Amino acid sequence: MTDLDDKLSFLLDDHPGENADANLDEVIADVNLQYRARRYHMIGEVMRHELPEAIDTSFHSNVMAQIHDENLQQAAAQPVTETPARNASILSWTPLKPFAGLAVAASVAIVTVALWQPLKQGTGQNDDGLVSADQQKIEQLAKQQIQGGVVTASTNVQPLGMRWKVERESPGLQQKLNAYLVTHTEYSNSMQSLIPQARVAGFDSQQ
Amino acid sequence: MDWVQKMSDAMRNLNYRGDFVYVHENQLESMQISHYRDAHGEKERLVSLNGEAREVIRDNQNLTCIWPSSRKVIVDLSRKNSFSPIFIPEDIARLEKYYEMKLLGKDRVANMNAVVVHIDPKDKYRYGMKFWINEDNGLMMQSSLINENGTVVEKVMFTSLELFEGEDKPVIDTMPKIDENFTLVRFHSGDSSQSFAADNSWQLGQTPGGFWRESVMKRKIPGSDDFVHQMVYTDGLASLSVFIERQSGIASQGGSSMGAVNAFIRIVKNYSVTAIGEVPAVTVKEVAESVSYQQQ
Repeated sequence: MTDLDDKLSFLLDDHPGENADANLDEVIADVNLQYRARRYHMIGEVMRHELPEAIDTSFHSNVMAQIHDENLQQAAAQPVTETPARNASILSWTPLKPFAGLAVAASVAIVTVALWQPLKQGTGQNDDGLVSADQQKIEQLAKQQIQGGVVTASTNVQPLGMRWKVERESPGLQQKLNAYLVTHTEYSNSMQSLIPQARVAGFDSQQ
Repeated sequence: MDWVQKMSDAMRNLNYRGDFVYVHENQLESMQISHYRDAHGEKERLVSLNGEAREVIRDNQNLTCIWPSSRKVIVDLSRKNSFSPIFIPEDIARLEKYYEMKLLGKDRVANMNAVVVHIDPKDKYRYGMKFWINEDNGLMMQSSLINENGTVVEKVMFTSLELFEGEDKPVIDTMPKIDENFTLVRFHSGDSSQSFAADNSWQLGQTPGGFWRESVMKRKIPGSDDFVHQMVYTDGLASLSVFIERQSGIASQGGSSMGAVNAFIRIVKNYSVTAIGEVPAVTVKEVAESVSYQQQ
Protein backbone atom coordinates (compact mmCIF):
# COMPACT_ATOMS: atom_id res chain seq x y z
CA MET A 1 0.00 0.00 0.00
CA THR A 2 1.16 3.50 -0.70
CA ASP A 3 1.38 6.14 1.94
CA LEU A 4 -1.77 7.74 0.53
CA ASP A 5 -3.59 4.41 0.65
CA ASP A 6 -2.60 4.12 4.30
CA LYS A 7 -3.94 7.57 5.03
CA LEU A 8 -7.20 6.93 3.21
CA SER A 9 -7.63 3.66 5.04
CA PHE A 10 -7.01 5.53 8.24
CA LEU A 11 -9.76 7.97 7.29
CA LEU A 12 -12.17 5.10 6.77
CA ASP A 13 -11.37 4.00 10.29
CA ASP A 14 -14.04 5.17 12.66
CA HIS A 15 -11.49 5.94 15.34
CA PRO A 16 -9.62 8.92 13.94
CA GLY A 17 -8.40 10.17 17.30
CA GLU A 18 -7.28 13.63 18.30
CA ASN A 19 -5.45 14.40 15.05
CA ALA A 20 -8.41 13.66 12.78
CA ASP A 21 -8.60 17.16 11.32
CA ALA A 22 -4.87 17.34 10.72
CA ASN A 23 -4.90 13.92 9.05
CA LEU A 24 -7.83 14.89 6.86
CA ASP A 25 -6.14 18.13 5.79
CA GLU A 26 -2.99 16.20 4.99
CA VAL A 27 -4.84 13.66 2.82
CA ILE A 28 -6.81 16.29 0.94
CA ALA A 29 -3.60 18.20 0.26
CA ASP A 30 -1.95 14.98 -0.88
CA VAL A 31 -4.80 14.10 -3.26
CA ASN A 32 -4.87 17.60 -4.68
CA LEU A 33 -1.12 17.42 -5.16
CA GLN A 34 -1.50 14.21 -7.13
CA TYR A 35 -4.13 15.72 -9.37
CA ARG A 36 -1.93 18.76 -9.94
CA ALA A 37 1.08 16.60 -10.70
CA ARG A 38 -0.97 14.53 -13.15
CA ARG A 39 -2.20 17.69 -14.85
CA TYR A 40 1.29 19.16 -15.21
CA HIS A 41 2.58 15.81 -16.42
CA MET A 42 -0.12 15.67 -19.09
CA ILE A 43 0.48 19.24 -20.21
CA GLY A 44 4.17 18.41 -20.45
CA GLU A 45 3.38 15.39 -22.62
CA VAL A 46 1.21 17.49 -24.86
CA MET A 47 3.93 20.10 -25.21
CA ARG A 48 6.49 17.42 -26.05
CA HIS A 49 4.11 15.60 -28.44
CA GLU A 50 4.41 12.53 -26.22
CA LEU A 51 0.79 11.63 -25.80
CA PRO A 52 0.21 7.91 -25.28
CA GLU A 53 -1.06 6.06 -28.33
CA ALA A 54 -4.24 5.12 -26.55
CA ILE A 55 -5.38 8.72 -26.57
CA ASP A 56 -7.17 10.08 -29.59
CA THR A 57 -4.67 12.66 -30.81
CA SER A 58 -7.15 14.54 -32.93
CA PHE A 59 -7.70 16.93 -30.10
CA HIS A 60 -4.12 17.49 -29.06
CA SER A 61 -3.75 20.35 -31.51
CA ASN A 62 -6.71 21.93 -29.77
CA VAL A 63 -4.93 21.61 -26.48
CA MET A 64 -1.82 23.18 -28.00
CA ALA A 65 -3.91 25.99 -29.43
CA GLN A 66 -5.62 26.42 -26.13
CA ILE A 67 -2.35 26.62 -24.26
CA HIS A 68 -1.07 29.12 -26.83
CA ASP A 69 -4.19 31.26 -26.91
CA GLU A 70 -4.93 31.33 -23.27
CA ASN A 71 -2.55 32.44 -20.64
CA LEU A 72 -3.13 29.36 -18.56
CA GLN A 73 -0.87 30.37 -15.77
CA GLN A 74 -2.70 33.62 -15.31
CA ALA A 75 -6.11 32.08 -15.71
CA ALA A 76 -5.36 29.22 -13.39
CA ALA A 77 -4.56 31.71 -10.69
CA GLN A 78 -8.09 33.05 -10.83
CA PRO A 79 -10.34 31.43 -8.28
CA VAL A 80 -13.69 29.99 -9.15
CA THR A 81 -16.12 32.50 -7.77
CA GLU A 82 -19.83 32.47 -7.43
CA THR A 83 -21.80 35.55 -8.28
CA PRO A 84 -25.36 35.86 -7.11
CA ALA A 85 -27.85 35.39 -9.92
CA ARG A 86 -29.81 38.16 -8.30
CA ASN A 87 -27.15 40.54 -9.67
CA ALA A 88 -27.62 39.14 -13.16
CA SER A 89 -24.11 37.75 -13.26
CA ILE A 90 -23.39 34.15 -14.01
CA LEU A 91 -20.51 31.78 -14.32
CA SER A 92 -19.36 30.97 -17.73
CA TRP A 93 -16.02 29.99 -19.15
CA THR A 94 -13.80 30.85 -22.04
CA PRO A 95 -14.92 28.45 -24.76
CA LEU A 96 -12.58 25.53 -25.26
CA LYS A 97 -12.50 23.51 -28.42
CA PRO A 98 -14.34 20.27 -27.73
CA PHE A 99 -12.09 17.47 -26.61
CA ALA A 100 -12.65 13.92 -27.73
CA GLY A 101 -10.40 12.29 -25.17
CA LEU A 102 -11.25 11.96 -21.56
CA ALA A 103 -7.73 11.53 -20.27
CA VAL A 104 -6.67 15.01 -21.21
CA ALA A 105 -10.08 16.40 -20.39
CA ALA A 106 -9.87 14.97 -16.92
CA SER A 107 -6.31 16.06 -16.47
CA VAL A 108 -6.94 19.62 -17.48
CA ALA A 109 -10.23 19.81 -15.67
CA ILE A 110 -8.78 21.93 -12.95
CA VAL A 111 -7.47 24.36 -15.52
CA THR A 112 -10.85 24.38 -17.20
CA VAL A 113 -12.61 25.16 -13.97
CA ALA A 114 -10.13 27.89 -13.30
CA LEU A 115 -11.01 29.43 -16.65
CA TRP A 116 -14.55 30.09 -15.52
CA GLN A 117 -15.00 33.78 -15.34
CA PRO A 118 -17.96 35.76 -14.19
CA LEU A 119 -19.58 37.51 -17.16
CA LYS A 120 -22.30 40.08 -17.27
CA GLN A 121 -25.56 38.86 -18.68
CA GLY A 122 -28.01 41.61 -19.28
CA THR A 123 -31.10 39.52 -19.52
CA GLY A 124 -32.45 40.41 -16.15
CA GLN A 125 -33.11 36.87 -15.18
CA ASN A 126 -34.60 35.98 -11.89
CA ASP A 127 -33.24 33.37 -9.52
CA ASP A 128 -34.44 30.57 -11.70
CA GLY A 129 -33.84 32.35 -14.97
CA LEU A 130 -30.36 31.09 -15.54
CA VAL A 131 -31.35 27.50 -15.25
CA SER A 132 -34.38 28.10 -17.43
CA ALA A 133 -32.25 29.77 -20.08
CA ASP A 134 -29.82 26.92 -20.10
CA GLN A 135 -32.69 24.50 -20.07
CA GLN A 136 -33.84 26.01 -23.37
CA LYS A 137 -30.38 25.48 -24.78
CA ILE A 138 -30.42 21.93 -23.56
CA GLU A 139 -33.78 21.29 -25.16
CA GLN A 140 -32.50 22.78 -28.43
CA LEU A 141 -29.51 20.48 -28.17
CA ALA A 142 -31.85 17.58 -27.56
CA LYS A 143 -33.79 18.27 -30.73
CA GLN A 144 -30.70 18.84 -32.85
CA GLN A 145 -28.68 15.93 -31.57
CA ILE A 146 -31.33 13.31 -31.19
CA GLN A 147 -32.83 14.14 -34.59
CA GLY A 148 -29.35 14.12 -36.04
CA GLY A 149 -28.63 10.79 -34.46
CA VAL A 150 -25.83 12.10 -32.29
CA VAL A 151 -26.36 10.69 -28.87
CA THR A 152 -22.98 10.06 -27.38
CA ALA A 153 -19.44 11.16 -27.94
CA SER A 154 -17.00 8.43 -28.74
CA THR A 155 -13.59 7.94 -27.28
CA ASN A 156 -10.97 5.28 -27.26
CA VAL A 157 -9.34 6.03 -23.95
CA GLN A 158 -9.81 4.31 -20.66
CA PRO A 159 -11.96 6.37 -18.34
CA LEU A 160 -10.65 7.63 -15.06
CA GLY A 161 -12.60 7.92 -11.86
CA MET A 162 -15.00 5.50 -10.25
CA ARG A 163 -15.29 2.14 -11.92
CA TRP A 164 -17.01 -1.11 -11.18
CA LYS A 165 -15.04 -4.17 -10.20
CA VAL A 166 -16.55 -6.88 -12.34
CA GLU A 167 -15.99 -10.61 -12.52
CA ARG A 168 -16.09 -10.55 -16.32
CA GLU A 169 -15.73 -7.29 -18.24
CA SER A 170 -17.75 -6.87 -21.40
CA PRO A 171 -18.42 -3.91 -23.70
CA GLY A 172 -20.85 -1.43 -22.23
CA LEU A 173 -21.05 -3.16 -18.86
CA GLN A 174 -19.68 -0.21 -16.88
CA GLN A 175 -22.13 2.20 -18.50
CA LYS A 176 -25.01 -0.20 -18.02
CA LEU A 177 -24.29 -0.63 -14.31
CA ASN A 178 -23.90 3.11 -13.86
CA ALA A 179 -27.18 3.79 -15.61
CA TYR A 180 -28.87 1.27 -13.34
CA LEU A 181 -27.29 2.80 -10.26
CA VAL A 182 -28.39 6.32 -11.21
CA THR A 183 -31.94 5.11 -11.81
CA HIS A 184 -31.92 3.09 -8.61
CA THR A 185 -30.68 6.11 -6.66
CA GLU A 186 -33.47 8.20 -8.12
CA TYR A 187 -36.26 5.77 -7.39
CA SER A 188 -35.20 4.37 -4.06
CA ASN A 189 -35.44 6.11 -0.74
CA SER A 190 -32.10 5.21 0.76
CA MET A 191 -31.34 6.44 4.24
CA GLN A 192 -27.67 6.74 3.45
CA SER A 193 -28.02 10.47 3.11
CA LEU A 194 -25.37 12.01 0.86
CA ILE A 195 -23.54 8.82 -0.03
CA PRO A 196 -25.74 7.78 -2.99
CA GLN A 197 -25.51 11.26 -4.48
CA ALA A 198 -21.77 11.37 -3.95
CA ARG A 199 -21.48 8.11 -5.85
CA VAL A 200 -23.35 9.50 -8.83
CA ALA A 201 -21.38 12.73 -8.77
CA GLY A 202 -18.23 10.64 -8.73
CA PHE A 203 -18.87 9.20 -12.17
CA ASP A 204 -16.63 10.46 -14.89
CA SER A 205 -17.96 11.72 -18.18
CA GLN A 206 -17.38 8.43 -19.99
CA GLN A 207 -19.69 6.56 -17.68
CA MET B 1 -34.74 7.47 17.18
CA ASP B 2 -35.55 11.11 17.55
CA TRP B 3 -32.08 12.07 16.30
CA VAL B 4 -32.49 10.22 13.02
CA GLN B 5 -35.87 11.85 12.55
CA LYS B 6 -34.34 15.24 13.32
CA MET B 7 -31.55 14.64 10.82
CA SER B 8 -34.00 13.63 8.11
CA ASP B 9 -36.02 16.81 8.64
CA ALA B 10 -32.95 19.07 8.79
CA MET B 11 -31.41 17.75 5.56
CA ARG B 12 -34.67 18.45 3.73
CA ASN B 13 -35.73 21.72 5.22
CA LEU B 14 -32.62 23.75 6.11
CA ASN B 15 -30.60 25.97 3.79
CA TYR B 16 -26.92 25.11 3.89
CA ARG B 17 -23.68 24.83 1.98
CA GLY B 18 -20.81 22.61 2.95
CA ASP B 19 -17.65 20.92 1.74
CA PHE B 20 -17.35 17.24 2.39
CA VAL B 21 -15.12 14.34 1.53
CA TYR B 22 -16.40 11.03 0.28
CA VAL B 23 -13.95 8.22 1.02
CA HIS B 24 -14.37 4.80 -0.57
CA GLU B 25 -12.02 2.00 -1.58
CA ASN B 26 -8.94 4.08 -0.86
CA GLN B 27 -10.19 6.87 -3.07
CA LEU B 28 -11.13 10.31 -1.91
CA GLU B 29 -13.57 12.65 -3.60
CA SER B 30 -13.87 16.20 -2.35
CA MET B 31 -17.25 17.78 -3.01
CA GLN B 32 -19.42 20.74 -2.14
CA ILE B 33 -23.16 20.64 -1.61
CA SER B 34 -25.53 23.59 -1.57
CA HIS B 35 -29.14 23.08 -0.63
CA TYR B 36 -32.15 25.26 -0.02
CA ARG B 37 -35.86 24.99 0.28
CA ASP B 38 -38.21 27.83 -0.55
CA ALA B 39 -41.80 28.30 -1.65
CA HIS B 40 -40.99 26.58 -4.97
CA GLY B 41 -39.55 23.50 -3.37
CA GLU B 42 -36.07 22.11 -2.86
CA LYS B 43 -33.02 22.77 -4.96
CA GLU B 44 -29.52 21.46 -4.58
CA ARG B 45 -26.21 21.43 -6.34
CA LEU B 46 -23.35 19.01 -5.91
CA VAL B 47 -19.94 19.98 -7.30
CA SER B 48 -16.79 17.90 -7.37
CA LEU B 49 -13.81 19.79 -6.06
CA ASN B 50 -11.09 17.51 -7.38
CA GLY B 51 -10.56 15.38 -10.45
CA GLU B 52 -12.64 16.04 -13.53
CA ALA B 53 -15.10 18.86 -12.95
CA ARG B 54 -18.58 17.45 -12.44
CA GLU B 55 -21.84 18.98 -11.29
CA VAL B 56 -25.19 17.57 -10.37
CA ILE B 57 -28.04 20.05 -10.09
CA ARG B 58 -31.43 18.94 -8.95
CA ASP B 59 -34.68 20.82 -8.68
CA ASN B 60 -38.29 19.73 -8.65
CA GLN B 61 -38.29 19.08 -12.40
CA ASN B 62 -34.82 18.09 -13.54
CA LEU B 63 -31.74 16.21 -12.51
CA THR B 64 -28.91 17.71 -14.57
CA CYS B 65 -25.40 16.25 -14.65
CA ILE B 66 -22.73 18.41 -16.26
CA TRP B 67 -19.11 17.61 -17.14
CA PRO B 68 -17.77 21.04 -18.13
CA SER B 69 -14.35 19.88 -19.25
CA SER B 70 -15.56 17.20 -21.62
CA ARG B 71 -18.64 19.29 -22.39
CA LYS B 72 -21.29 16.72 -21.76
CA VAL B 73 -24.73 17.04 -20.25
CA ILE B 74 -27.27 14.53 -19.05
CA VAL B 75 -30.73 15.75 -18.17
CA ASP B 76 -33.20 13.43 -16.55
CA LEU B 77 -36.44 14.01 -14.79
CA SER B 78 -36.13 14.51 -11.07
CA ARG B 79 -38.11 11.60 -9.77
CA LYS B 80 -37.86 11.96 -6.06
CA ASN B 81 -40.50 13.69 -4.08
CA SER B 82 -37.81 14.68 -1.66
CA PHE B 83 -34.06 14.97 -2.00
CA SER B 84 -33.29 13.50 1.37
CA PRO B 85 -34.98 10.40 2.63
CA ILE B 86 -38.14 10.82 4.58
CA PHE B 87 -37.98 8.91 7.80
CA ILE B 88 -41.30 8.61 9.50
CA PRO B 89 -41.73 7.45 13.10
CA GLU B 90 -43.99 4.59 12.02
CA ASP B 91 -40.97 3.04 10.30
CA ILE B 92 -39.14 2.59 13.57
CA ALA B 93 -41.04 -0.44 14.78
CA ARG B 94 -40.59 -2.16 11.44
CA LEU B 95 -36.89 -1.29 11.31
CA GLU B 96 -36.28 -2.67 14.77
CA LYS B 97 -36.96 -6.14 13.39
CA TYR B 98 -33.80 -5.86 11.30
CA TYR B 99 -31.65 -3.25 13.03
CA GLU B 100 -30.55 -2.30 16.50
CA MET B 101 -30.52 1.46 17.12
CA LYS B 102 -27.87 2.75 19.50
CA LEU B 103 -26.95 6.19 20.74
CA LEU B 104 -23.19 5.98 21.09
CA GLY B 105 -22.47 9.36 22.64
CA LYS B 106 -21.00 12.67 21.52
CA ASP B 107 -18.13 13.68 19.26
CA ARG B 108 -16.84 16.68 17.33
CA VAL B 109 -16.85 17.01 13.53
CA ALA B 110 -15.69 20.13 11.63
CA ASN B 111 -15.36 21.80 15.00
CA MET B 112 -19.05 21.27 15.78
CA ASN B 113 -20.69 19.13 18.44
CA ALA B 114 -22.36 16.00 17.20
CA VAL B 115 -24.21 13.04 18.61
CA VAL B 116 -23.32 9.62 17.23
CA VAL B 117 -26.05 7.18 16.27
CA HIS B 118 -25.31 3.59 15.27
CA ILE B 119 -27.81 1.57 13.25
CA ASP B 120 -26.58 -1.99 13.56
CA PRO B 121 -28.01 -4.76 11.34
CA LYS B 122 -29.14 -8.01 12.90
CA ASP B 123 -28.29 -10.20 9.89
CA LYS B 124 -25.97 -10.44 6.87
CA TYR B 125 -28.37 -8.95 4.33
CA ARG B 126 -27.81 -5.27 5.04
CA TYR B 127 -25.13 -2.79 6.00
CA GLY B 128 -24.81 -0.91 9.24
CA MET B 129 -24.66 2.87 9.46
CA LYS B 130 -23.27 5.44 11.81
CA PHE B 131 -24.40 9.04 11.73
CA TRP B 132 -22.75 12.02 13.39
CA ILE B 133 -25.62 14.48 13.77
CA ASN B 134 -25.11 18.16 14.54
CA GLU B 135 -26.34 18.67 18.07
CA ASP B 136 -27.65 22.18 17.37
CA ASN B 137 -29.38 21.94 14.00
CA GLY B 138 -29.69 18.23 13.22
CA LEU B 139 -27.65 18.27 10.02
CA MET B 140 -25.67 15.17 9.21
CA MET B 141 -21.98 15.93 9.73
CA GLN B 142 -20.53 12.52 9.05
CA SER B 143 -21.79 9.11 8.07
CA SER B 144 -20.21 5.70 7.71
CA LEU B 145 -21.45 2.65 5.91
CA ILE B 146 -20.29 -0.53 7.64
CA ASN B 147 -20.19 -3.91 5.90
CA GLU B 148 -21.03 -7.34 7.24
CA ASN B 149 -17.49 -7.70 8.61
CA GLY B 150 -17.73 -4.52 10.62
CA THR B 151 -15.44 -2.62 8.24
CA VAL B 152 -16.27 0.93 7.18
CA VAL B 153 -16.58 0.78 3.39
CA GLU B 154 -17.77 4.29 2.59
CA LYS B 155 -17.66 7.47 4.53
CA VAL B 156 -18.91 11.01 4.08
CA MET B 157 -17.45 13.69 6.31
CA PHE B 158 -18.11 17.44 6.25
CA THR B 159 -15.01 19.56 6.59
CA SER B 160 -16.97 22.81 6.68
CA LEU B 161 -20.63 23.65 6.91
CA GLU B 162 -22.43 26.98 6.61
CA LEU B 163 -26.02 27.30 7.71
CA PHE B 164 -28.24 30.02 6.19
CA GLU B 165 -30.86 31.43 8.51
CA GLY B 166 -34.31 32.73 7.62
CA GLU B 167 -34.71 33.77 3.99
CA ASP B 168 -31.01 33.55 3.23
CA LYS B 169 -29.95 30.72 1.00
CA PRO B 170 -26.83 29.56 -0.79
CA VAL B 171 -26.30 30.57 -4.41
CA ILE B 172 -27.08 27.63 -6.64
CA ASP B 173 -28.10 29.28 -9.88
CA THR B 174 -24.55 29.83 -11.05
CA MET B 175 -24.24 26.76 -13.18
CA PRO B 176 -21.87 26.65 -16.15
CA LYS B 177 -23.29 28.12 -19.32
CA ILE B 178 -24.46 25.43 -21.71
CA ASP B 179 -23.61 26.17 -25.32
CA GLU B 180 -23.93 24.40 -28.63
CA ASN B 181 -20.55 22.74 -28.23
CA PHE B 182 -21.93 20.47 -25.55
CA THR B 183 -22.95 16.93 -26.28
CA LEU B 184 -26.27 15.97 -24.80
CA VAL B 185 -25.72 12.39 -23.81
CA ARG B 186 -29.25 11.80 -22.58
CA PHE B 187 -32.38 13.89 -22.21
CA HIS B 188 -35.39 12.83 -20.17
CA SER B 189 -34.87 9.18 -20.90
CA GLY B 190 -37.64 7.03 -19.52
CA ASP B 191 -39.96 10.00 -19.38
CA SER B 192 -42.45 9.39 -16.59
CA SER B 193 -45.20 10.72 -18.84
CA GLN B 194 -44.79 7.48 -20.76
CA SER B 195 -46.12 4.90 -18.38
CA PHE B 196 -46.64 1.31 -19.28
CA ALA B 197 -48.41 -1.45 -17.46
CA ALA B 198 -45.95 -3.36 -15.33
CA ASP B 199 -45.26 -6.89 -16.44
CA ASN B 200 -46.19 -9.20 -13.59
CA SER B 201 -44.69 -12.18 -15.35
CA TRP B 202 -41.43 -11.45 -13.57
CA GLN B 203 -41.53 -12.56 -9.97
CA LEU B 204 -39.19 -13.03 -7.06
CA GLY B 205 -39.49 -16.40 -5.41
CA GLN B 206 -38.32 -15.36 -1.98
CA THR B 207 -36.84 -12.02 -0.98
CA PRO B 208 -34.09 -12.35 1.59
CA GLY B 209 -34.09 -10.66 4.93
CA GLY B 210 -37.51 -9.07 4.95
CA PHE B 211 -37.08 -6.81 1.93
CA TRP B 212 -40.43 -5.98 0.43
CA ARG B 213 -41.36 -4.68 -3.00
CA GLU B 214 -41.87 -0.95 -2.86
CA SER B 215 -42.60 -0.26 -6.51
CA VAL B 216 -42.51 -1.74 -9.97
CA MET B 217 -42.04 0.16 -13.21
CA LYS B 218 -41.73 -0.50 -16.90
CA ARG B 219 -40.13 2.05 -19.16
CA LYS B 220 -39.23 2.26 -22.80
CA ILE B 221 -35.53 2.22 -23.57
CA PRO B 222 -34.67 5.38 -25.53
CA GLY B 223 -33.95 4.69 -29.17
CA SER B 224 -35.31 1.18 -28.97
CA ASP B 225 -38.60 -0.70 -29.04
CA ASP B 226 -37.61 -2.64 -25.96
CA PHE B 227 -38.55 -2.05 -22.36
CA VAL B 228 -36.76 -2.23 -19.06
CA HIS B 229 -38.55 -3.44 -15.96
CA GLN B 230 -37.51 -2.13 -12.57
CA MET B 231 -38.62 -3.47 -9.23
CA VAL B 232 -37.50 -1.60 -6.11
CA TYR B 233 -37.14 -3.49 -2.83
CA THR B 234 -36.48 -2.01 0.58
CA ASP B 235 -36.31 -2.92 4.23
CA GLY B 236 -37.17 0.66 5.16
CA LEU B 237 -33.53 1.70 5.35
CA ALA B 238 -31.55 -0.06 2.65
CA SER B 239 -32.82 -0.63 -0.86
CA LEU B 240 -32.05 -2.47 -4.05
CA SER B 241 -33.48 -2.58 -7.55
CA VAL B 242 -33.96 -5.41 -9.99
CA PHE B 243 -33.65 -4.41 -13.64
CA ILE B 244 -34.83 -6.75 -16.37
CA GLU B 245 -34.29 -6.10 -20.04
CA ARG B 246 -33.81 -8.09 -23.20
CA GLN B 247 -30.24 -9.29 -23.44
CA SER B 248 -28.17 -7.58 -26.11
CA GLY B 249 -24.56 -8.13 -26.98
CA ILE B 250 -22.27 -10.33 -24.97
CA ALA B 251 -23.78 -11.82 -21.86
CA SER B 252 -22.16 -10.65 -18.64
CA GLN B 253 -23.10 -12.77 -15.70
CA GLY B 254 -21.85 -12.67 -12.14
CA GLY B 255 -21.12 -10.16 -9.44
CA SER B 256 -19.82 -6.60 -9.60
CA SER B 257 -19.09 -4.00 -6.98
CA MET B 258 -18.25 -0.34 -6.64
CA GLY B 259 -17.57 0.72 -3.10
CA ALA B 260 -20.48 -0.47 -1.02
CA VAL B 261 -22.75 -0.97 -4.02
CA ASN B 262 -23.09 -4.50 -5.26
CA ALA B 263 -24.68 -5.87 -8.40
CA PHE B 264 -25.35 -9.36 -9.68
CA ILE B 265 -26.32 -10.21 -13.26
CA ARG B 266 -27.79 -13.42 -14.56
CA ILE B 267 -29.49 -14.35 -17.81
CA VAL B 268 -33.03 -15.72 -17.71
CA LYS B 269 -34.75 -16.66 -20.97
CA ASN B 270 -32.66 -14.24 -23.05
CA TYR B 271 -33.28 -11.48 -20.56
CA SER B 272 -30.61 -9.81 -18.48
CA VAL B 273 -31.63 -9.71 -14.82
CA THR B 274 -29.59 -7.33 -12.66
CA ALA B 275 -30.00 -6.84 -8.93
CA ILE B 276 -28.19 -3.73 -7.72
CA GLY B 277 -28.13 -1.75 -4.51
CA GLU B 278 -26.20 -0.57 -1.48
CA VAL B 279 -26.46 -3.94 0.19
CA PRO B 280 -23.99 -6.83 0.68
CA ALA B 281 -23.07 -9.05 -2.27
CA VAL B 282 -25.00 -11.98 -0.83
CA THR B 283 -28.22 -9.97 -0.91
CA VAL B 284 -28.10 -9.00 -4.60
CA LYS B 285 -26.98 -12.53 -5.52
CA GLU B 286 -29.86 -14.19 -3.68
CA VAL B 287 -32.35 -11.69 -5.08
CA ALA B 288 -31.13 -12.10 -8.67
CA GLU B 289 -31.18 -15.87 -8.34
CA SER B 290 -34.74 -15.86 -7.07
CA VAL B 291 -36.10 -14.04 -10.16
CA SER B 292 -38.17 -16.19 -12.46
CA TYR B 293 -40.47 -15.72 -15.42
CA GLN B 294 -43.97 -17.09 -15.14
CA GLN B 295 -46.10 -16.95 -18.25
CA GLN B 296 -49.35 -15.17 -17.40
